[in-house]
Amino acid sequence: MIPLRGLPRVVFVLGKGGVGRSTIAAALGTALARSGERVLVFEWALSEAIAPWFGLRPAEMDPCEVAPRLSVANFRLDDALEAYFVGHLRMGLFYRHVIRGRAIRRLVQAAPGIAEMMFLGHVCWLTTLAEKEAGLRFDRVLVDSPAMGHGASMLDFPATFASMHASGLLGAEMARVDRMMRDPAWVGALVVSLPEELAVEETLELVPRTTRSLGREPLAVIVNRSAARLVTDEAEPGWLKVLHDRLPPDAVIGLEAVQAELRGRLRLERLLRDQLEGATELGVFALDEQLALAVEGSPRTVIGALASALRPEVAGPA
Amino acid sequence: MTARLHVMLGAGGVGKTTLAAGYALALAQAPDRRVGLLGIDPSRRLKDALGVALTDADTPVPSAGALRAAVLQPTESLRRWAVEACPDPRTRERLFANPFFSALADRLATATDIFAAARVSEWVEHDPGLTDLVVDTAPGLNAIEFLTRPERVAAFLGGRLVGWLRWLARSGPAGSTEELLRGRALRFAGGLVRIGGWRMLLDLADFFSLVEGMFATLLTRVQRTQRWLHEGATQILVVTSVRHDGAAIASALVDALSEAGLVPRAVILNRALPDALAEHVALLETTAAGDPTAAPVIRYALCYAAMQQRTLEDVRGLAARTAVVPDARGLDGDARLESLARIGETLRLGLE
Repeated sequence: MIPLRGLPRVVFVLGKGGVGRSTIAAALGTALARSGERVLVFEWALSEAIAPWFGLRPAEMDPCEVAPRLSVANFRLDDALEAYFVGHLRMGLFYRHVIRGRAIRRLVQAAPGIAEMMFLGHVCWLTTLAEKEAGLRFDRVLVDSPAMGHGASMLDFPATFASMHASGLLGAEMARVDRMMRDPAWVGALVVSLPEELAVEETLELVPRTTRSLGREPLAVIVNRSAARLVTDEAEPGWLKVLHDRLPPDAVIGLEAVQAELRGRLRLERLLRDQLEGATELGVFALDEQLALAVEGSPRTVIGALASALRPEVAGPA
Repeated sequence: MTARLHVMLGAGGVGKTTLAAGYALALAQAPDRRVGLLGIDPSRRLKDALGVALTDADTPVPSAGALRAAVLQPTESLRRWAVEACPDPRTRERLFANPFFSALADRLATATDIFAAARVSEWVEHDPGLTDLVVDTAPGLNAIEFLTRPERVAAFLGGRLVGWLRWLARSGPAGSTEELLRGRALRFAGGLVRIGGWRMLLDLADFFSLVEGMFATLLTRVQRTQRWLHEGATQILVVTSVRHDGAAIASALVDALSEAGLVPRAVILNRALPDALAEHVALLETTAAGDPTAAPVIRYALCYAAMQQRTLEDVRGLAARTAVVPDARGLDGDARLESLARIGETLRLGLE
């Protein structure tokens, strides 16, 4: 059980590709939604991943409810621009004649930073004006952005942007984003990791980097696919020795590979715990490998099982 | 191009980097080869395994034949290209101080694919004797941008707005503002000033004017890489591993490739267990039933083997060839040079 207390309204879920970042975002979203909150998982991916796990088509910019109170949306720059200029600023004419013009559209697509700005601006809007302006009310927004690598450069963005000396609409918008990012009750980061060499290495860099960018520690590190309940530290357990004589060499090699890989996970999980002691607000938590535990390995079952482990009753509104 | 290009595409965490390194090592074993390995994701583990500190500039890998390796570092690449394009140090300093330039170089993950594509051509320009270049791309579908974005960037840089911004940078805003705002420029300028203010507009104008030469070279290189990708000898390898979405990810990549007019040579299923495991399910289940310490490991192995079978069936039709690479995480956890080369050799044979 993972006691996720006092989560802020916006949680950036960070981590290298393949660690299960979207799975954890969906599981946390499920846990919060079960406890009665209205939750949005906001992705920035070429093709949104979570809705298909619930048997639906990939979500677009408009939030799509995949389970009771749990919605998913996927950032698209064009739609975000329209939402901003038409829905928020009520500048429909300006949008149609200037922003949608070919030249500005190309600028927006190619100039460094514009997409990041619009993304963060939209996250901010979702937790402030979206209810009044678009009837979208979310108690919690979980941000998952595969398009940004591990996602940490997003947290640096307000600083990058400050160096760009914008005034005008963008200046005002980014001042709002900056206020959001500085507020610990508004924004926090959750780092997802795996007990695998590359992922551990990256997490050990990502945690201090996040602390620097955000000016405070990440809420927690979640170690996905922990083997703590699957293996012990024993190098060659008795049962494996017995099977040596009864199985063909190839099958034994396979079992040894599995045993060694799972044991490796124990060591790497310990390494993460040791190295990151005191480096996060709440601690380092492990979620069990689901492959051997879940009866049926569909993503939806796995998300449900992980959601139960995230202890929804204390993950209520901050 | 005389050299052969090998591009590894795949989701994050499928072991793409390790496979690319192993494959490059295996290629470099053959006589008369001169092999390059370009990584997009810097990884300390890979550096340790290759026994060399990888930088943006290519470095020889000790005791690995004629293999040179590099890891893309956008900041360094951009600075090198800036030096190449503007010989005047004063102009260069102005460029390095421009906020858009530093944002581009330091912090924008979304621009990496373009730099990677340019770096590929640059490598061959500087090393004409190269016979093979193995590229480990950015994870996931993003890597596809590497193949499709050049057109968008070219269209933009050649467009009227950038031309106008450059003109603005040359003439400056002082005194000429009214003139500027007259006529067709009015819409652009009015819009941009309203969005970001004058200072940002001028920085942006300065940026586009300073990077003009650099971007021209960048674009030529990116386009050359694109042509190279379409050459018959080029191998595009889609990498996936045994996991619940392994087949779905491979299939999404193959679709995206086909939209870009490219056909992968093979789909590689990484981290496979020996087939023999799946053939002894009954015996394994009996053992698991009789021993609580064995049960979770055996159950995990059997679930894994079943998932492997499903994934393999699902990826079979995606490309002309499917290569299966055994799981080496547990046995060769520290990924030394020899074990990397062994993985690479398995892959090389599987692709033949």
